[in-house]
Amino acid sequence: MAVKANIDSGRWGDPYLDLSTYTADADLMELNMGPQHPSTHGVFRVVLWLDGETIVKAVPHPGYLHRGVEKLCEKLTYVQITPIVDKNDYVAPMLNEQAVNMAVEQLMGIEVPRRARWLRTLLAELQRVASHLLWLGTFGIDLGGALGGGTSLFMYCFRERELIMDLFEGLTGSRFHYNTHTVGGNRHDVPAGWAEQVKQVLTFIERHIDEYVAVLDHPIFEQRTMNVGVIDAELALGLGLTGPVLRASGVDHDLRRDAPYHAYDEIDFKVPIAHGGDCYARYEVRVAEMRESIRMARDLIDGLPEGPLVGARPIKTPVQVKIKSGQAYVALETPRGELGTYVIAGGDNRNASPYRFKIRPPSLHSVSALPWVLPGHQVSDVVAILGSLDPIMGEVDR
Amino acid sequence: MAVDDPGRSYSHPLFDTLERFPGLDLATTTADKLLNWGARNSLWIFPMATSCCGIEFMASAASRVDFDRMGSFTRATPRQADVMVVAGTITVKMAPRVKRLWDQMPEPKWCVAMGSCAISGDFYRDIYSVIPGIDTVIPVDVYVPGCPPNPEALMAGLLVLQEKIALKTAGLKTVPAGRPETAKMISPRIKRVGHPDRMPEIDAAQCAQAMSLDLTEPPDLLAAFTAAQAAAKAAREAAEAAAADAAAADEKGGEA
Amino acid sequence: MTADERQARLAAFMTERFGVEADPWPDGGPIVPVEQHVALAAALQAELGYTLYVYCVASHWPDETPKGGDLIPEHYEVATGLRSVGAGSHVAMWRVSVPVGAGVPTLADLFAGADWQEREQYDLVGVVFDDHPDLRRLMLPEEWVGHPLRKDYAIETGHLPWR
Ligand code: SF4
Repeated sequence: MAVKANIDSGRWGDPYLDLSTYTADADLMELNMGPQHPSTHGVFRVVLWLDGETIVKAVPHPGYLHRGVEKLCEKLTYVQITPIVDKNDYVAPMLNEQAVNMAVEQLMGIEVPRRARWLRTLLAELQRVASHLLWLGTFGIDLGGALGGGTSLFMYCFRERELIMDLFEGLTGSRFHYNTHTVGGNRHDVPAGWAEQVKQVLTFIERHIDEYVAVLDHPIFEQRTMNVGVIDAELALGLGLTGPVLRASGVDHDLRRDAPYHAYDEIDFKVPIAHGGDCYARYEVRVAEMRESIRMARDLIDGLPEGPLVGARPIKTPVQVKIKSGQAYVALETPRGELGTYVIAGGDNRNASPYRFKIRPPSLHSVSALPWVLPGHQVSDVVAILGSLDPIMGEVDR
Repeated sequence: MAVDDPGRSYSHPLFDTLERFPGLDLATTTADKLLNWGARNSLWIFPMATSCCGIEFMASAASRVDFDRMGSFTRATPRQADVMVVAGTITVKMAPRVKRLWDQMPEPKWCVAMGSCAISGDFYRDIYSVIPGIDTVIPVDVYVPGCPPNPEALMAGLLVLQEKIALKTAGLKTVPAGRPETAKMISPRIKRVGHPDRMPEIDAAQCAQAMSLDLTEPPDLLAAFTAAQAAAKAAREAAEAAAADAAAADEKGGEA
Repeated sequence: MTADERQARLAAFMTERFGVEADPWPDGGPIVPVEQHVALAAALQAELGYTLYVYCVASHWPDETPKGGDLIPEHYEVATGLRSVGAGSHVAMWRVSVPVGAGVPTLADLFAGADWQEREQYDLVGVVFDDHPDLRRLMLPEEWVGHPLRKDYAIETGHLPWR
């Protein structure tokens, strides 16, 4: 009811607009964008109906990367799921692993040792920086013309991102798709000299973030992002938007602080928010988050406690992970928002694999904002808005 | 491992022009070499980057590895590209689009399958919506294994492709290097492009759907497919039996 | 308010207003009669401040006879979660159970985000959402046959001429 009233009052765009009753000022034109389009961050298709240059209706079509992960996970044991979910949000695989392992740990009632919890927090924050760097680089390409050539920001951001990839490679042996978390703890311990390396990388990145902000402090960038794609707080909440997109709409909500997991209740941090709800506010929030994450990562690496990485009764074989029955929803905060894992255990007499495994992807909700936000904008804004939502198609389609 | 497809054309409109000038035909072999030298040192890439491997593809294009150094450059439109790098999982919904984009690329063109998803479907190969390897749809020249392959591995793949083009120009055959046993084990239901058992109906249906993007299944394809598969199996078994018989006869003959 | 206090308040609210057995709190939330699905969501949104739409998870349960029990006929279970934002964030979760063929009323009128989540569950599991404004497949092509996450759907189902 609330939804309908807001559409009727013209506050939100109308995703269900009946075009047969719509009278266009200019010619009504149908424009297809994607699924192979350089700015759609993967394979994503959106069909736009244009009245002149103005969008009147947008219909997104996800699913071009639907890989049936949920069905696949029903066939695998809980331990085997970890490397599979890596591939969902492939820009932040660490957090995917953590999400599924946290769900299994909760269902089994396993305590994770303190060192593993701190290490997980550290990895999550490093991953957040890497993910936001990738976002900033691709956002630079999306708004290409505004930044004099477009790819320069991308090149800079990837230079820094590679450093974090090196750190992860040093720890886990893989650039991404790490498979380093397991039920009850972590697999790989910190190698010698790694902590020093982390600190150097963090200092390097922190210094360069100021440079990006200086590059983007530019009237054309501001014109292309300010007051573009405004999502108000009510729409953001109703749509289930989370993470930086929600915080850019002025809602002070962050699972790391409001429903703490890992070691987030043991360390100090601020949650940056912005109030514009537009593309620029999302950019501000992400940049502030990067700085905050770097600060947190420094605290975490300094305070990394000694101790074992797995519990007293380590899980050695998949068969040891057995859950009779139960359901759990566990959520954590990824760079894109609330990544939830809903596991239904038990069912058809197989205790080693889930009966139903569902991932609640933050990107799916971000993308679903498009039909509500796009009407009234120009075609060129589509790229800016889609880019600022930072969807990852592997996660949208799974 | 490289697949050699005799049906592939490596012709170029410029050759035809050259041949029209009398006296220049002597120079064409040299021109041929020149053009292919140019082609292999400026492989413009059309990234069919669908998922995780696409991120590694971006990393190869970015500052550290930077395949710009070898004259490779990303173009976002198929009409300006020589190489399609298929990086990522291709689904049933996406495959017709890939096929169509491939058909839009001008000859000569090459395809690099990057990552195990593009090669064989990876662990998604049994899933209802994933196609088990892009080579069941379009011909592939170079396979770059890994999940995901490092940027360096993609570079190596592009160098192999350059080598392959050079061999082709010199009239030499590229020999598929691989382990046939493995290939047999993960053989997909739909045979790879260029495989002797591949049904022509499959090709036709794939082309038709890619061009119309009408995804409704042709009604009699399944029956024809099953029948053809059964026939191929019977023929193979008959051949094997005949070979076994011949071997047995040989043995007997030897004894006698 | 901490998450534990919210949980206690939620359980009391559900029992008082909707007569739902919520003590002890079952995993995945209590089962709510399907007629009260929308009313419960509306009350949680308006009165208790659960304004953030989180998830909708449908699961398919084929006919089953537990040892020494009666036949449990084939049914769908749809779990829904709403979150309160800010300090002490908490998820209010509940489930509804419907026989195959019956629909679940949609929440798309209350939460814009329910639109796509419900479309996805319809696409993959096959639950029908009544009065949904735009119930089409989300992930799979329009002409796809069957719903892959149902238990009777084979994982390796082919789809000629592509796989
Ligand atoms: S091969 Fe691995 S990294 Fe590449 S697309 Fe497939 S799952 Fe992703």
